[in-house]
Amino acid sequence: MSVLGTLVRKEFRQLRRDPALLRLVLILPVMQLLVMSYALNNDLRHLRVSVLDDDRTPLSRRLVEAFPHGVTFTPGPGAEGEAELGRLLREGRCDIAVHIPAGFARDVSDGRSPAVGLAVDGSNSSIAGRGAGYAEALLTREAARLATENGRPGGTPVKPAVRFYHNPELESRLYMVPGIIVILVTIISALVTGLAVVREKELGTLEQIRVTPVTPLQMIAGKTIPFALIALVDLILATLFAVAWFHVPMAGSPLVLLLGVFLYLVVTLGLGLLASAVSDTQQQAVFTVWFFLVFAIMLSGFFFPVQNMPPWARALTWLNPMRFFMAIVRGVLLRGAGVGDLAREFSMLALMGVAAFGGAVALFRRASD
Amino acid sequence: MNDAIVLDGLFKGYGAVPAVRGLSLSVPAGTICGLIGPDGAGKTTAMRVLCGLLRADRGAARVLGHDCATAALEVKRHLGYMPQRFSLYPDLTVGENLRFFADLFDVPAAERKRRDAELMAFSRLEPFRGRRAGQLSGGMKQKLALSCTLIHTPAVLILDEPTTGVDPVSRREFWRILRELAGNGLALLVSTPYMDEAALCDDIVLMHAGRALAQGTPAAVAASFPRRLLEVTGADLIEAGRRLREASIVGLDVQRYGDCLHLVHDDQAQADAAARALAGTGAVLAPLAAGIEDVFVEMMSRADAEVAM
Repeated sequence: MSVLGTLVRKEFRQLRRDPALLRLVLILPVMQLLVMSYALNNDLRHLRVSVLDDDRTPLSRRLVEAFPHGVTFTPGPGAEGEAELGRLLREGRCDIAVHIPAGFARDVSDGRSPAVGLAVDGSNSSIAGRGAGYAEALLTREAARLATENGRPGGTPVKPAVRFYHNPELESRLYMVPGIIVILVTIISALVTGLAVVREKELGTLEQIRVTPVTPLQMIAGKTIPFALIALVDLILATLFAVAWFHVPMAGSPLVLLLGVFLYLVVTLGLGLLASAVSDTQQQAVFTVWFFLVFAIMLSGFFFPVQNMPPWARALTWLNPMRFFMAIVRGVLLRGAGVGDLAREFSMLALMGVAAFGGAVALFRRASD
Repeated sequence: MNDAIVLDGLFKGYGAVPAVRGLSLSVPAGTICGLIGPDGAGKTTAMRVLCGLLRADRGAARVLGHDCATAALEVKRHLGYMPQRFSLYPDLTVGENLRFFADLFDVPAAERKRRDAELMAFSRLEPFRGRRAGQLSGGMKQKLALSCTLIHTPAVLILDEPTTGVDPVSRREFWRILRELAGNGLALLVSTPYMDEAALCDDIVLMHAGRALAQGTPAAVAASFPRRLLEVTGADLIEAGRRLREASIVGLDVQRYGDCLHLVHDDQAQADAAARALAGTGAVLAPLAAGIEDVFVEMMSRADAEVAM
C-alpha cells in the first residue's frame, strides 16, 4: 500500500510541476464538453431548400410557400432554371432542390398526379435519408390539401420523384471514407511534425543547429518538407484505396484535390510548428495537438453538419481549417466540385496557411531571446 | 582589441534573476581561457551570449571583432559551440553526424574530405564511423561532439563543461586535444567546475554569482591569494578539525580537502594557536603556496560576506 501510495503521489506531484500539461488535462476537456454538447447534434435542422417553380400558378406558389419555414427547413437560394438548381446542389449551397414542373396546376386539377422533382444532396447519408423522407411527406400532404381545396380529394395528387445526388444509395461509407482521409492527413502532418520538432528540442539538437549559419526559415522548411511529402503520399494512398476498395467515386479532378491538400498542409504543418513552439516536451505537444484535433474534427462537419450548429459554433468553424478541407475532399470526390465551386474553401485555407506558417516562423525567429 | 573572443561589461538576466553581472574577458588567438566556477555561476549564460543564442541586457560580446548580437551570421561561421549536453543525433551514425554538420556549414567538398580525415585521426573515431552516436561511450560522444563543432574549421571554440561526467583518462585525452587546437591558433573558451583543470588553461576567470572573482594566468591568480596558508597532514583529520573548532581561534578558517586540512590565517599568532590546539595528535603543519581552489574559496566567502552586509 505505502509503495503504491508513493508511486501515485509521485505521479501527481510531477503532474503539478508541469502547469502546461495540467491546464491541458483539466481545462480543455471542460471546454470540449461545453462547446460540443451545445454545438453538436445530428437532428434535422436548417436543411436549405431551393425551389424552382416552372409552373408559376397560384397553386404551385402555395405549394412552395407551404414548404420551407421553421426549424427543419429553411429557404435556400432561388434558381432560375434547372441548370442553376443543379449547380446549387453541386456547390453545396442547398441540401434539397425542389423542381415543380410546368403544367403542375393543370395536372393536379385533371387528377393526373404530376411528378415533383425532389433532389437531395446525399453526401451526408445520415441526414439525407431522413431529410428526403421528411420533405417527401410534407410535399405529399400539402399537395393533397391543395387538391382537396380544388375539389379533387383522395388519390395521390403528386408523385414526388426523389433522387439522391452524390451518393444515390445513401451509403454511409461514401460519407465516412473521405472524412477519415482528412483526419489521417491532419494527424500525420500536424502531430508528427510537432513531435519531430519538440524531439529536437528535448535532444538539444535544435540549439546545436541554431549556432550554425542555418536560417530559421531553412530550419522550418527542412523540418516540414519531409512530413509534407509523407502526408501527401498518405493522401494519395488513402484516396486510391477509397476509390478502388470502397468504390468512393472520384467525381472531380485529382488536381483540384492536390491543390486543396497542398493548401491544407501549409496550415496543418504551421499549426504543428506552433504547437511545438509552445511545448517543451513531446508529452505537451501530443496533448496540445490532440485536444485541438478533437475540436477540429467535431467542428468540421464530419459527423455533425455545420448548419445544425448554433450561430456561435458556426462562427467558430470559420477558424477550423479541417472544415474547409473536409468540404474540398467531399466536394471533389462525391460532387465533382471544381476550384470555382470551392473558391471560398480554397481562399480560407490560403489565408489560414499564411497566418499559421507566418506565426510559426515568427516564433522560431524570436526563440533566440 | 585584436582578441578573438571579447566580453565587455556583460549583463544578462532571466526576468528579475541576474545570471551574469558585469563580466569582462578577452581571449587571444592560440590560447585557452578557462571559465571556472560552480553551477549557477553564469558560465553557460556568458557562453550562450557569445554564440548568439541569448541577447545581452547590457555590455558587448564580440567574436573576431563581430558583434554577437548584430553580426550573428558572421559570428556563427567562425565559431564552434559545444553545449554541456551532448546534442547530436543519437540515431545517426558517427559519419552521418559529421556529414550533417559539414553540410549545415557548407564546407566545400575538397576541404571536407581533408577535414574529415583530420578529425577522425585526432579523435580516433575512425573505427566507429558506422556506429550510431547513441551507442558511443561518454568520452567518445564528447570527441564526436567536438569533431562536429570543428568540421567548419572555426577560429573560435566555445566548450561548455566538456569534461563533466567524463572518465579521468578521457578527460586527460580531451585536454591534450584542446591544447593541440590552441597550438593551431584557435581561441578557446572552456568552462569547467573542476579546479584542477584550471592549471591546463592559459588564462582563467574564477566566476561566482555572475561575477569574476579573479582573473589572469593560473599562476597569477594563485599568487593573488591575500592571506597565509598552512597544510595539516598526518593526523586523524576529523579529530584535528574538532580540536580546531573547539579552540575557536579568531580569524582562522579551516577547509577540508581530500587528504589534508588547509588553515587560512593572517598572522603567526593564529598559526601558533592552531599548532597548540593540534599538539599531541601527530599532525604535521607546513606552510603551503595557495592553489586556485584556495583563491576561489577565499574570494567566494568574501563576495558572499559583502552581499550579506
